[in-house]
Amino acid sequence: MKLRKLAAGSLVFCMVAGAMASSAFADEIVINYPTFQVGANTSAPAIAELVNRFNEEYAGQYRIEVEEVPGDENYADKITVQIASSETLPPVVYGAGQKLLDLALQADAVKDISEAVDADPDWAAMYTESWEEVNCRDGKKYASSMESEMIGYFYNKELFEQAGIDGPAATWDEFFEDLDKLKEAGITPLAMDTADGAWCTQLLVGAYLASTEEGMEFLKTKYPTDYNNEAMINAMAKAQELYQNYTTLDAVGGAYENAANNFFSGNVAIICNGPWMISDFSDESKTEAGFADKVGAAAYPDSFVYDAPIEGMFVTKQDDPALEEAAVAMVQFFTSNEAQAVALDLSGMVPASSAVEITDEILEKYPLLGEFLSQASACENRASTLTGNMVPGLEDIWDNELPNLASGASTPEDFCQVLTDFAAANPAQ
Amino acid sequence: MRKKEIPWIILFLLPTCAVFLLIFAVPLCMVIGGSFFNYRLMPKTFSFNGIGNYIQLFTQDKNFWLIFRNTLVWIVIHCVFHVALGTLLAFVLYKKPRGWKFVRVVYMIPNIISQSAIAMIFLNMYNPQYGVLNSILKAVGLEKLQHNWLFEMGTAFPAVTMTWFLFAGYTTTLVLAQCLSLDEGIIEAAKIDGASSLQIDRLVVFPLAKDMIRTTVIMAATYMLQLFSMIYLTSGGGPGSTTTNLPLYLYTTMKSTNYGYANTIGVVIIVVGMVTMFLINRVFHTREE
Repeated sequence: MKLRKLAAGSLVFCMVAGAMASSAFADEIVINYPTFQVGANTSAPAIAELVNRFNEEYAGQYRIEVEEVPGDENYADKITVQIASSETLPPVVYGAGQKLLDLALQADAVKDISEAVDADPDWAAMYTESWEEVNCRDGKKYASSMESEMIGYFYNKELFEQAGIDGPAATWDEFFEDLDKLKEAGITPLAMDTADGAWCTQLLVGAYLASTEEGMEFLKTKYPTDYNNEAMINAMAKAQELYQNYTTLDAVGGAYENAANNFFSGNVAIICNGPWMISDFSDESKTEAGFADKVGAAAYPDSFVYDAPIEGMFVTKQDDPALEEAAVAMVQFFTSNEAQAVALDLSGMVPASSAVEITDEILEKYPLLGEFLSQASACENRASTLTGNMVPGLEDIWDNELPNLASGASTPEDFCQVLTDFAAANPAQ
Repeated sequence: MRKKEIPWIILFLLPTCAVFLLIFAVPLCMVIGGSFFNYRLMPKTFSFNGIGNYIQLFTQDKNFWLIFRNTLVWIVIHCVFHVALGTLLAFVLYKKPRGWKFVRVVYMIPNIISQSAIAMIFLNMYNPQYGVLNSILKAVGLEKLQHNWLFEMGTAFPAVTMTWFLFAGYTTTLVLAQCLSLDEGIIEAAKIDGASSLQIDRLVVFPLAKDMIRTTVIMAATYMLQLFSMIYLTSGGGPGSTTTNLPLYLYTTMKSTNYGYANTIGVVIIVVGMVTMFLINRVFHTREE
């Protein structure tokens, strides 16, 4: 009998305590934040830290709950499907160069944050011309960037030395000569891929494309519908040659992870990627100790570097205005100069805001970043990535057609025609 | 049935009907209705298109017929060869040879592992650089036969097919359960009449297990009409459209925000499913007659 009374008493106590606890948090607004910047993603430490700091600063008022969605392609697919099925989007979405802002805008799902931005002079000052290009539409501010997409390539200095190469090439002719030297020395020159948007390959193709006036103009075209131009066909012919002679066997069918793994294990000499990869070079779970000392960073030949703020975080329309306010606070917090400094420190993410100083401490921590930034700042030619400007869905076609191009089953002309057919049938504008 | 029971019957059926209408009927009508519209998100378009999407799909879409053929070929392979393989194993196991329980369990394992894991296993097995398949070929001096199995035109389709073809665990389990439930007296009678083991299998066990085989054939067909993740995670539907099936095509079309066209593909999948079910039932019904 006593035991029953004790059990009943405990239950009542638990219920009352639970009710009190829940009422204490009743006013706290929870922001569900799906993100791919988790786990092995190079930005994960920075995002985790910022989430903690936000939750501390807004304790009792707002709280971010992270929903892990490993893989940026998976994340983009998830948000795209949610837009397609008219589901309410998460309060904060990170555009991440996946054209999600335009998609969400078409679905009338994005909140205009102009008022909040203009009310904060520091925030408003970030909206330079390049920012506005990626984050604003029709004069309205919709998104806010956290990092810049400044991309060159990395090379293995030890392998370059073995092949008798002094340093990064200044022209594309020199670059291809270096590839031959590496090959002659028995070293596979390039890390390439075909899956998940063929990230490394598209960077190389885009950079080569930028070496001609026509190509540069094409690279800067938003959502092009015609890929049948000489520059693009030449670039794809070069890509075909590189697939067939200068890369690993698993490049065809492989994704970025395969390419990175080949670079980390010293199987290849060159990989195209951004500075966010730098912290990986010292990560002993990915590569051998001391690997970072072997790596050099470079801008592309003919004075080219990818340079554009990455489409930032945006707030989506919600039924609850309080949740929208919370989401605006989150975007403001995550894209502030302080947050960008944290992201730079913890994950080597190049800040989107020019107000964030790259200190000597940072350069000491990431010497490779300093090496890259000094080269990048000297570059005369800049543009955003090739696949970043493709119409929605074309990346899948690009992925599936690249193996045919690589094997020679299709010609560069065929390849460009397939892209044109799809883009022309599915124009984004 | 008494008249006063009718309201009760209606009352108890209502929740099921309501759930069916909400979850299946309404979306189905929306898919069919949507297939007659030009509905895109980028650029935002919503206009009545009549049978325009169907005309485009059947007459102008360069990829559709290859994708349609892929889907049908996989349905046939799965319904005929895959089910035959599972049934054959069930017919061996029901005689309870030594170790039959072990084989039954082991053969089921690939069917209970997640498709993502299986896809990763095959992705690595087929890897042209370090994959088991190419390594074996190299070890036995058949380097000329090495391929990038999932990403070459000539090998991609069979390579993707092999990711599920051999794993007929469900068929084996279901047909075996049916065989084991047969009255042993019937088998004994056949033996006394002098029937050979093969004759017993062909003339006694097979006809009695036919209903279950039909069920497994229907399951196999529907599985193929839903197949998505295994292709998506291995070949991604490429190279080109060599390994794309209708569900994957629907998905990629939806990603390009062409929802009206995606609905049209959805309707084709539904029709293919209905025709397949009809044909399967017809084949088994004819055999019964």
